[in-house]
Amino acid sequence: MSVPLMTIPDEAPPPARATAVSARGLRKTYGTGDTAVHALDGVDVAVDRGAFTAIMGPSGSGKSTLMHCLAGLDTPSAGQVWLGDTELTRLGDDQLTRLRRQRIGFVFQAFNLLPALDARANITLPMQLAGTRPDRVWLDDVLARLGLSDRLRHRPHELSGGQQQRVAIARALLPRPDVVFADEPTGNLDSRAGAEVLGLLRSTVREMGQTVVMVTHDPAAAAYADRVVLLADGRPAGEIQAPTAASVIDALHQLGD
Amino acid sequence: MRTVLLANLRVHAARLVATVLAVVLAVGFVVATLVLNETSRATALASAGAPYLPAAAVVTSLDGAPVGVGALLADIPSVGAVAPSWQTVLPIEVPERAGVRTLLVGSVAEAPELRWEQLAAGSLPDEPGEIAVDRRSGAALGDVLTVLVPAPVDRTGGGSGEPTESSATVTGIVEFAGSPYAGLFGQAVVTPAQAQAWGAQEPSELRVAARPGVSPDTVLADVSAALSDRPVSVLSGAQQARSAADDLTRGHLQLTAVLLVFATVAVLVAGLVIANTFAVLLAQRTRELALLRALGATGAQVRRSVLGEALLTGLVASALGTGAGIGLAAAVAALSGGAEATIPLVGLSVPPWAVGAGLLVGTLVTLLAAAVPARVATRTSPLAAARPMDAAPLRSRPGAARVVLGLTLLLPGLGLLWIGADRAQVLVAVGGGVLAFLGVVLLAQLVIPVLVAGAGRLASRIGGIPAQLAAGNASRAPRRTAATALALLVGVTLTAAMVVGAATTRESSTAAIAAAYPIDVVVTQGSDPLPRSLAGELDAVTGVGASAPVSVAELVGPDGQPVQVFGIEPGAGGRAVRSEASFRLPEPGRAVLPPWLATAYGVASGDAVSFTTGGRALDAVVTIGDDDQSEVLVTADQLTATAPDAAPAAVWLRVADDADASATVERITQASGTAAPGSAVTGMLAQRAQLDGLLNGLLLVVTGLLAIAVLIALIGVGNTLALSVVERRQENGLLRALGLTRGQLRLVLAWEAALISGVAGVLGVAMGIGYGLTGVNSVLGGVGDVVPVIPWLQLVAIVVVATGAGLLASVLPARRAARTSPVAAIAG
Repeated sequence: MSVPLMTIPDEAPPPARATAVSARGLRKTYGTGDTAVHALDGVDVAVDRGAFTAIMGPSGSGKSTLMHCLAGLDTPSAGQVWLGDTELTRLGDDQLTRLRRQRIGFVFQAFNLLPALDARANITLPMQLAGTRPDRVWLDDVLARLGLSDRLRHRPHELSGGQQQRVAIARALLPRPDVVFADEPTGNLDSRAGAEVLGLLRSTVREMGQTVVMVTHDPAAAAYADRVVLLADGRPAGEIQAPTAASVIDALHQLGD
Repeated sequence: MRTVLLANLRVHAARLVATVLAVVLAVGFVVATLVLNETSRATALASAGAPYLPAAAVVTSLDGAPVGVGALLADIPSVGAVAPSWQTVLPIEVPERAGVRTLLVGSVAEAPELRWEQLAAGSLPDEPGEIAVDRRSGAALGDVLTVLVPAPVDRTGGGSGEPTESSATVTGIVEFAGSPYAGLFGQAVVTPAQAQAWGAQEPSELRVAARPGVSPDTVLADVSAALSDRPVSVLSGAQQARSAADDLTRGHLQLTAVLLVFATVAVLVAGLVIANTFAVLLAQRTRELALLRALGATGAQVRRSVLGEALLTGLVASALGTGAGIGLAAAVAALSGGAEATIPLVGLSVPPWAVGAGLLVGTLVTLLAAAVPARVATRTSPLAAARPMDAAPLRSRPGAARVVLGLTLLLPGLGLLWIGADRAQVLVAVGGGVLAFLGVVLLAQLVIPVLVAGAGRLASRIGGIPAQLAAGNASRAPRRTAATALALLVGVTLTAAMVVGAATTRESSTAAIAAAYPIDVVVTQGSDPLPRSLAGELDAVTGVGASAPVSVAELVGPDGQPVQVFGIEPGAGGRAVRSEASFRLPEPGRAVLPPWLATAYGVASGDAVSFTTGGRALDAVVTIGDDDQSEVLVTADQLTATAPDAAPAAVWLRVADDADASATVERITQASGTAAPGSAVTGMLAQRAQLDGLLNGLLLVVTGLLAIAVLIALIGVGNTLALSVVERRQENGLLRALGLTRGQLRLVLAWEAALISGVAGVLGVAMGIGYGLTGVNSVLGGVGDVVPVIPWLQLVAIVVVATGAGLLASVLPARRAARTSPVAAIAG
């Protein structure tokens, strides 16, 4: 794969923010004819590099589908998706798989870790799949930031929910991906552990310049983001810059009306 | 619940294919074995028992001496007819056929109701001078055969005169197919008077028919009463027929017993596979079952539903398996009917109890195998319907009780195996083998995951991340991995044991047969001496591997009596003789003496002995021959040096191993008949050929077993992987999301299959070698020396086939896993 890994500046993000991921005219339709369901019905979206973006919307709004399409996990029925200069919608399954391994990180709601592997093996798994070795300095740095250095030999079932999500974040960060996608990363956590995970995600953006896209239905979680993209019935429904929990709840209420 | 049960069967019929297949194979195996056994028994009864079936009573001498009570019996009012069985072996010349052939000549009953011979053409002989022959004799209807009747042997053993020539006209062609005496030489029947005239031995067996209107039981009772004080046995015709058939099928019954042991093992393997399949089915339906529970179904209702499914499946599959078994038996019977088998199977006997046994065994095994998964299903909590799939991979360790019980079975089992092999006690060895295997089954949960993990570490070096993941997966569900490996282990152990056993048996019995029958064919002189060129001519006959001429001269022994001394060239003799284990050939300067002659001369091994003729002496050192050797044997050089007029007396021939024995004997008979009319062809080739045929049959059976073991193993491994795919749907989805390509995911499953089946294969072969060697030792150890042979090539092939079968079994589940999109998998 000739796609260069993104270089991550040590200091604050660059002033001129480029686009990390973008989609145009995105449609995803399940079924055909009268029974067809349009999960995504013409979505244009752009995610800024080095920013923390939240995708929000009520249940069935298509927010998870949008994330799956942006992350190369799912293929849209129509439209285009770019990751940097790479058009994902032109890639085959194997090319997408390799791209996910190297340029995209994931944090899921649940079942983030392989039960058979210990924390360290889980963290380095994508790199091993790609056949590359993790940069030791970078690995130690990530582990220290996430407070995982003394938990490396533990298996997932020996870790708390919050610890499991931290392992997942470490795994997502290790290959220095273009984008980290988080799908309801706090859905299974109590509020304290949830706040900790969200804080960690925000600090990766602030301190490492990492681009993070998070799907959530929790206004309090969305308030950690720099920007919230709202979705309703598979269509864009506005966005909020520098959101607070209150402004997100307001916006959601307007969507409901 | 019945509606749910039936709906399940309708909707998920395809999922039960694995169970049905396993049951069909196992039941088919059992039923085919039973049917073939019954068929060969019926065939044997029809062939070996044929002479006795028409008789009301059969009188047999207990000491082999002539019965001599024919006249006494004829006086009993209820007796209708008495047929003595005269028998002799005679050299016969067939017109337009060179050489003398040896014919087994029996007598035909005078009373029509006691005749049993099957005529292919013509009629049975009615008066002296008539003869009915079988096809092997080579004679045709109307041929006049020349019979060389040996002069009667007087009791002193000496003074045998010239044979007299007699003749007989062929009036009928008889079918002796399936006769126990149908060997390489022909058979014929003549009237009792003719048989007597030809010097047949007095009969040791009489067949008695009832007077018309008298019940056979009355005759049997009358004859028994009349002969109560004589050394004879009196049996009914049916009893005697059964006993004759049993004599003939004794070897086959052993084969049946062996086959039934294998059938039992096949049923056990099927049980393991079925238990696995039901575990898979129920795991796939956890939510469904939980929903049923939540809606108010009791645990007992759920269990009954599962068991009902097993019962119906078992019944249907057993019925299919029974049909398949009968079909298989029919195919085998048809195939063997065409071959030159000792007992060509005629028709097909399907005993109702075999059908019943097939149905019962299949259904019971299915029910029993489903019982454990059904109990687990009962424990499904109603909450499981709402919960996401449980991902906690708890490593279950086998309990200490299991280990202790396993060891208490294994160790004494091994001890019994050893004793059974050492003392040649088959039953002890079988008991030990069963105990040891049960022990292995119990310990498998402990041992197999350890072995798989070890193999996995090795595989990770070669296979990278997919192999590493596969090793992790395989050791995560130790119980299931062990069960899968066990199913394969049983099949592989069995097959390897058979391969080793067959190879060892073949090698051991080849040595034993060679020792028992050292010379294949001997051509001896008739009235005229053999031409000196005969050995060379016979050596050129197709199928002859080696030849050695034997010369003879009459010398005077140390006791002053004339003695025939035979000369053999040691090199040629060594090539013509199959084994010198029980047949001594002379080294230069030595004379091999029969033990009785050495005693008569008062010499022992190593003593000097001297034979003289015409003033010359043959001095040699004594070698004591084997008990069966009856001639003085010296080297040909030494004999001619003493007696220059020594004449060719015989030619020893060894038939090439790959030659058709029967055809070669025919060619030898032709060649020697042309070159030396009056010469006779004898030898032990027939016995060798029969034993060889039996061993080849055994090897054929092994191949069949291999096929069945591999098939059942395929199903078992496929099932486990299917369950693996179902249980690890989310996990595999996550791996795909994180960058595992479809190909790599398929590789993970392929590695898992290869690890499980490879470990089972290697372990199975190791155990099979042990079982095979101890097995043969326990069976043959009492008969003779066992030469252990381990056919490594075939054993490696078994491991390769087992692993290949596992890989093949991973194809379908792997394809299914790879097709699932990561999104769908992660969503649950």
